[in-house]
Amino acid sequence: MSKQEPKPEHLIEAVLLVSATPISPPHLSSATGLSKEEMGAALENLTERYAPETSGIVLRNVAGGYQLSTNPGCSGAVERFREEARAAPLSNAAHEVLACALYLGPVTRGAISRVRGVNSDAVVRNLLERGLLSEVGADHEAPGSPALLSVTDEFLAATGSSSTDEFPPLGSLVTPEELSRVHERLTSAATPPEDSGDTP
Amino acid sequence: MTFEPRGRSLSDFTVELDVYSGPYEWLLALILKDELEIFEIPLRKLVESYMGARERDPTNGLERDTDFAGSASALVLLKSRTLSPAIDAETEGDEDEPHSPEELAQRLTEYLKIRRAAEQLRERFAANAGYYPSAHTVPPRPGRLRVKPERVSLAARRAFSRLIEPPVRHLGPITVTLQELAGMIRTVLATGPISYEILTRDMDRLNTAVAFAAALSLAQEGSLTLVQTEPLGPLTLEPTA
Repeated sequence: MSKQEPKPEHLIEAVLLVSATPISPPHLSSATGLSKEEMGAALENLTERYAPETSGIVLRNVAGGYQLSTNPGCSGAVERFREEARAAPLSNAAHEVLACALYLGPVTRGAISRVRGVNSDAVVRNLLERGLLSEVGADHEAPGSPALLSVTDEFLAATGSSSTDEFPPLGSLVTPEELSRVHERLTSAATPPEDSGDTP
Repeated sequence: MTFEPRGRSLSDFTVELDVYSGPYEWLLALILKDELEIFEIPLRKLVESYMGARERDPTNGLERDTDFAGSASALVLLKSRTLSPAIDAETEGDEDEPHSPEELAQRLTEYLKIRRAAEQLRERFAANAGYYPSAHTVPPRPGRLRVKPERVSLAARRAFSRLIEPPVRHLGPITVTLQELAGMIRTVLATGPISYEILTRDMDRLNTAVAFAAALSLAQEGSLTLVQTEPLGPLTLEPTA
């Protein structure tokens, strides 16, 4: 039996199989020796082959790269086999801190606390331990050069996003009507009631 | 939220909340370890439920009430501290505090947007929770394979160079061996048990130490038994039956 040359799909499959993290297209191209066109065609074929409807393994385009993962429909079997429960969902506070880092980042802990109105250090620490946040630098203009926080590739993979550009703009999340209602309530609450003459 | 009958203080007090279900004491532990956010615990519901459970089972009521009041007031303090505005050195003097309704509206607007973004993130996290990537982990990379010849020759010189012999003139000659003293102990034990003090009475420190090692060795192989009725007490060597 003659040894056959592996197809581009086979090369990409093999490399993706042995990586626990998403692989960027340039990195994938470098490892497989495939051209950009060959990669594109092969990835298209693999996306069809590893569609959730046809396979227990799915090809995901997350965190700026490609990754083979289990089909979420099979997650129960995977969790039973690995004898581990799915990680507990994040708290509301954790989602707010991540939203701050995603939309306003890189931000300091102090900036996150100011936006939320409460101290967020414990939540930030928890998210750093989970790998969803990371320190990407320091704000040298602020006293003490506090660390700047940003979301990580693990965050993008956990949210099924290829990049931060996939998230809707912050301004589009609240309608102008809601904003005007907030403004109206606050300004009307601050306006002193007219003197009715009943006060002693 | 229930009390198990005949429980000790709050150890049997179980809690059922949206964010947690289980023993009350574990709830406190989880909050202290930052595993649970204090501001997600509805303290009012906690107190109301406790009052309901207390009425059903008044056993050790005073002790339980005292314990609960102590821990619940600590939770209230912790929650109020957590919810109070963050103190920042940059904003000392309340410079960052909104002064006008317009500023406050702007701050609230910003928070409202973040709040909505957080809700969207929650949905995205939930929708992507069942993906498990390959468990393969890449082994650590080997070190640099290219080594300069100078470094190789230096390492070889160090490896093959003769070490300077340490001075040993201050050490006395070794005059006794473990085998010799083991033979001597066997001979003595042929006549019966003997105390370690009598055995080593005329020996110097080296011989005394080696005799002890020999006795331990013989005890380990079962030729004798070491008897010591109390710690640091007299040690007796007895021949085994």
